[in-house]
Amino acid sequence: MNEQEIIDITNRVFEESFEIEKDRLKPDAHIFTDLGLDSLDVVDLVAALQKSFGVNIRNEEKVRNIRTLKDIYDFISAIKKEGH
Amino acid sequence: MNYLKIYSLNLYSYVLFAIYSAVCIPLLVLFVAFMSIFLGRRRTMKLYRRAIAWWSRGILLLPFPFVKVRYENNSGDTTGEPYIFVCNHRSFSDGFLMAVLPVEGVQVVNIWPFRIPVIGFFARKSGYLNIRMMQTEEFFDKAAELLRDNVSIIFFPEGTRSGSRKMGNFHSSAFRLALKSQAPIVPLCISGSENIPPKGSLLLRPGTIRIRRLRAITWSEYNGWSVVTLKNRVREIIGNELALMEQGA
Repeated sequence: MNEQEIIDITNRVFEESFEIEKDRLKPDAHIFTDLGLDSLDVVDLVAALQKSFGVNIRNEEKVRNIRTLKDIYDFISAIKKEGH
Repeated sequence: MNYLKIYSLNLYSYVLFAIYSAVCIPLLVLFVAFMSIFLGRRRTMKLYRRAIAWWSRGILLLPFPFVKVRYENNSGDTTGEPYIFVCNHRSFSDGFLMAVLPVEGVQVVNIWPFRIPVIGFFARKSGYLNIRMMQTEEFFDKAAELLRDNVSIIFFPEGTRSGSRKMGNFHSSAFRLALKSQAPIVPLCISGSENIPPKGSLLLRPGTIRIRRLRAITWSEYNGWSVVTLKNRVREIIGNELALMEQGA
């Protein structure tokens, strides 16, 4: 899976699961302040990402450090490379 | 209105506020404490909630006629309590405005109101909820229990005062509770409170605050919606109505 595919799938998760318009999905968009998610939504986000990428990220400590969309792209990319 | 008049209005309002509260609060506390001897826990909590409403009603009348408050009920509701009220949040005064809603309700508030000596006391005694001081599951369990007990829950889903006419993002807890409890959601719009007082200040400006209650969205309507869909629809309804209100409608 290349980086563009990761970006496309992640963005689709935000569009479909959180009804966020495509033009707001910029890499530096903060998931809380810019995209309007809250701590409870993060649980849903993790579930949607797991389903879309077929990975298990529920116990990843790094999830807590995610702030922007780019953080998610990098996080998924790293997980994919580690072969989760 | 020039600054001299604004400062006079504030001096007048805050002096009255201090006198009114110094007399009213001890009387209310004594009254509820006395009545609690005869009442059970449930009815004592109801009385504390009423005491907050009585005190708040007086607070809202003090700056009249410089500050006017107008309730507009456009709901035509026949669904009956309990409700989940969802309201935009611009000012410190919004808590008082919600306290006088004609229902038995508790507000979901931030940490700081619990730390204000008198307000915190009444908030705790009335069972007000703070999602940041509770585990998520504990919060939903308590809120669901209140709804089952016919007590409405009042949310400010922006989580903090916007301080302006621009509405912030909505947090999802009100809508998660709705989907768990199937209670009707009532959108409420507050217009005009942004300067009474402005965020970061205690200086009241003259004006009219309007609170408009809209039609409840019932479980039969939102059944099957996701949290996000429900949140976005309610935010859209409140945003559209506020835009109308601010055009004078």
